[in-house]
Amino acid sequence: MTPSLNPAVTETTKPALAIRNYSLSYRTANGIVAALKNIDLTIGKGQTVGLVGESGSGKSSMAWSIMRYLPPNAVEDGGAIRLAGEEILDYTPRQMADIRGRRMAMVFQDPSTSLNPTIRLGEQIGEVLMRHRGLTKVEAMQEAEAALARTGITRPKEMLQRYPHEASGGEKQRVVIATAFACEPELIIFDEPTTALDILTARQILDLFNQLREETNVSALYISHDLGLVSRVVDEVSVLHKGGIVESGRVDDVFRRPKADYTRQLIGAVPNPDRWIGIDAPANPDPLISLETIGVHYNAPTMLQKIFQPKEAEKAGFWGAKNVSMEVRKGELLGVVGESGSGKSTIAKVLAGLQDFDGKLQFDGKTFGSRKDIDRAYRRRVQLVFQHPDASLNPRQTIGTIIGRPLKLYGIVPADKVATRVAELLEMVRLPADYARRHPHQLSGGEKQRVAIARAFAAEPDLVICDEVTAALDVSVQAAVAELLVKLQKETGTACVFITHDLNLIRQLAHRIAVMHHGALVDFFDGPDARADDRDPYTKALLDAVPVHADMEAFDVA
Amino acid sequence: MTRGYLIRRLLAIFLVLAIVTFAVFAITTVLPGNAAIMILGEYATPDAVAALERQLNLDQPWYMQYFNWVAGILRGDLGMSLRLSLPVSQVVGEAFLNSALLGATALVAVTVIAIPLGALAALKRGTAVDLAIGLFSYLGTALPEFVTATLLLVFLAAPNSGIFPAGGFVAPWGNIGGFAYHVALPAFTLGLILLAHISRQVRSEMAEVLSSDYIRAARLKGLTERRVIRRHALPNSLAPAVAVISLDIGYLLGGIIVVEEIFAWPGLGRLLMYALENRDLPVIQAVTLLLAGVYALSNLISDIVIAMLDPRVRYA
Repeated sequence: MTPSLNPAVTETTKPALAIRNYSLSYRTANGIVAALKNIDLTIGKGQTVGLVGESGSGKSSMAWSIMRYLPPNAVEDGGAIRLAGEEILDYTPRQMADIRGRRMAMVFQDPSTSLNPTIRLGEQIGEVLMRHRGLTKVEAMQEAEAALARTGITRPKEMLQRYPHEASGGEKQRVVIATAFACEPELIIFDEPTTALDILTARQILDLFNQLREETNVSALYISHDLGLVSRVVDEVSVLHKGGIVESGRVDDVFRRPKADYTRQLIGAVPNPDRWIGIDAPANPDPLISLETIGVHYNAPTMLQKIFQPKEAEKAGFWGAKNVSMEVRKGELLGVVGESGSGKSTIAKVLAGLQDFDGKLQFDGKTFGSRKDIDRAYRRRVQLVFQHPDASLNPRQTIGTIIGRPLKLYGIVPADKVATRVAELLEMVRLPADYARRHPHQLSGGEKQRVAIARAFAAEPDLVICDEVTAALDVSVQAAVAELLVKLQKETGTACVFITHDLNLIRQLAHRIAVMHHGALVDFFDGPDARADDRDPYTKALLDAVPVHADMEAFDVA
Repeated sequence: MTRGYLIRRLLAIFLVLAIVTFAVFAITTVLPGNAAIMILGEYATPDAVAALERQLNLDQPWYMQYFNWVAGILRGDLGMSLRLSLPVSQVVGEAFLNSALLGATALVAVTVIAIPLGALAALKRGTAVDLAIGLFSYLGTALPEFVTATLLLVFLAAPNSGIFPAGGFVAPWGNIGGFAYHVALPAFTLGLILLAHISRQVRSEMAEVLSSDYIRAARLKGLTERRVIRRHALPNSLAPAVAVISLDIGYLLGGIIVVEEIFAWPGLGRLLMYALENRDLPVIQAVTLLLAGVYALSNLISDIVIAMLDPRVRYA
C-alpha cells in the first residue's frame, strides 16, 4: 500500500463495517414498501456505533441486512455492505454461513427465546467453536467454560450443564454474549440486548458489555430505541427515522446539539425525572382506597395436599403479594414501581377485583374481605387499563362499540346519547370523533392505548389503574400518553395508580411512589424524596441502575 | 420425573382398569341373549340350561359374578372360554401377540415415514412438495379402513395380480420374510389413516419451531443447515407428535378390529368378533380389559418420552 498523506485516511480505509448508499424494501400485499433508504454507516475498528430509532424505523432490517439474513420478500436496491473491506452483498449463503458466528456475531433482544430450550447451555456455546474453529467436543467445552467465566458467571462449569429454563434472564443473556464473543469476531451486532431484562440485570449486562468491549477491542453496532441507554455505551450514534438516517455523529454532539427535528423530538421525549409534568398534589389527602395486609398466594396448596403432603404443601405455590398495606388518596397519582415478578401487577389485579386475596380492602367506607364481595358499583368506580391495547381491545368491535360499552353497562348516559358521549370521550383523548367507526387494527399502538384509556374514563371512575400502559409504546408516544393521563386527571379529578418499571417516567408524574420487591412493599415515599438518604437500599439500587444521560440535565430540550 | 410420580401414575392406571372392569362386566351382563342357550342351542331343555347356568355361575346374583370374576383376574385366572374349551388367558394371549405384531408394525412404519414427511413439508412450506405431501396424507385420512383395504385387495391381492396374499398370518419367528409379505397390506391400511395425523402435527410444529428466535439464532451462529434442522429444529418438533401418536394408539385399537377381520389376521380383533357372535363372555371381558390396559399404558409411555424430549417438562 502506498503511504497516504493523511494517516487518518489509511486508518479508515478498511473500517470493520462500511455501509454505503444501501437501500432495502419489502414486497408486500400492498406493493413495495421501503424499509431502508440510502443508508451510510461506518464502524471503525474497535468502535461502537449506536443505531437509534423507534419501532418500524428499520433498525432491525439493518441488522438482518448486515447478517445477510433477509426474508424471501426482501428486495435490495443497491449499495454496498463491506466487512473489513470485503463486499459481503455478493457472498453466497455458504460463504455467509462461514462468516456468521466467526467474523460477525449477534446478541439478541430476548435471551429466553434466542436460546434453544432443549439443548444444554454448554453445547449451545460449544457448537460455534466446533463449527468455526474445528475444536473437538471436549476442547469446545473447555473453551466454553472460559468464555462463560469472562462474562462474570460465577460457576461456569455448572452453567454448561444447565438448560435455558434453569438459568435466570441475566445468566441467559451472559450465555448469549459468551457465544457471540466465543470466536473473537470483528463485529458484533447488539439488538436491544437489555430491553427484555429487569432494570438491575440490564445494568449489569451493560457494564459487562463495556468491559468486554475494552478487553477485546471488538467493533459493535448497538441497536436500541433507548437514547439514554445508548448514550452510555457508544462512541457514535446514528438516528434512524422511517428508514433513513436523519442524523449521525459523536454521541455528545448529537445529544447536545441535535440538528434534525426528529432527534430533538426523540431527546425531548426521553423521560427526565427533573421535569415535572404531573398535576399538583391534592390539597386534602383523604384516602380513597386502602389495602390492609393484602396477600395473594398463587398455586396455593389444596386442602387435600395440606392433609396428605404437609411437607410439599408448605413449599407449594408462591406469594404474589404478601402483607401489603397502602392507601390511595383521592385525586392523587400513585406510582407503583418494581421489576418483573415483584407483585406490582398482582396489586393491580387485587385493586381491580380480578384476583382473590387475603386481607382487607376498604373503599369509600365499605370493607371488602374477599374478591367475591366486590360489587358492580365498585367495578364501575375502579377501572383498569392494560399494558397491551392489542390484547385488551376486541378486534371485532368498532372503537365506538368499545367505548360505548361501559356507558351502556353502567347506564352512564341515556341510550340515545351514547354516540355523542363516545365522540366527547374520543375528543378528550385527542382522537378524531370519526374514529368511532374504525376497528382497532386500523389504529397505531399509541392510538389504541388512547382508546383503552377513553374506555376506562367512560365509566366516570374514582380510580384508574394503569398497568404498564406505556411499556409497549415507543418513547415519543410514551410521553404523549403520560401527558394525556395527567390532563384527564386534571379534568376529572380521578385518582390514578400508575404501575411501571420506568423510574424516570414515574418521577415526572407521581405524587407518591411505592416500591415493590418479591411481593413485598419495601419502600413508600413522596415523589420528590426519591433521592433522600433514608430510601431503602433496593430503591437506591433501582435508581442508580436507570440510565440517565449524564448531560441530559445540562441541556434544555423543551 | 420422580419415582413417586411414576408410582402415582401406575396406581391411577389400576384405578382406571378397576372402573373398566365394572363397565365391561355391566355391558356383557346386559347383552341380549343367554349364554347358556347360545352354547346349548335353541332346542335345549330348560333343565339342561339351568344345569349349565349353575356350572357357569350364571345363576348367582350379578355382584357375586362380578366379585368372582375380579378375584379371578387378581389370581391371574381369567376363566375358561365358553366356546373354545381353552383357558381364556391362552386364547387371548396368543391373539394379543398377533395383534401387537400388526399394530407395532403399522405404528413403527407410520412413525418412520410420517415424521420425515412432516419435517420435509415444513421445510418446503408452500411449495409443490408440501402440497403433494398434504394431499397424500389427507387422502389417507379421508379413506376409512374398509375402503382402503378393499382397494388394496382388488388391486394388489386379486387372483390376477396376486402380488400380496389376500389374508392370513405367518409368524415372524424364523420366517421374517413370510411375515413381512403377509403383514404388508393390513399394516399399510392401518398406517395410512394415521399418516396425516402425525405428519401434519410434525409439519405445523416444525414450521413454528423454524420461525422461532432460537432457530434464527442458530443460523446466525453460522451452523450448517444440517445441524440447524437435525439438532435444533427436529427434536423440538417431536413432543407434540408423540402425544398424537399415543392418542392414535386408541384409534389403532379400533382400526385393528376391522382390518383383522378383512385380512383374516388371527388377532384380538377377530377374537373379539368371534366372542361377541358367540356370547363368549369371559373372552369378551378379557379382550376389552386388555385393550383398555394397553391404551392407558401407552399414554404413560408417551408422557415419559415427552419428558425425555423436552427438559422443561417435569412431572412431580
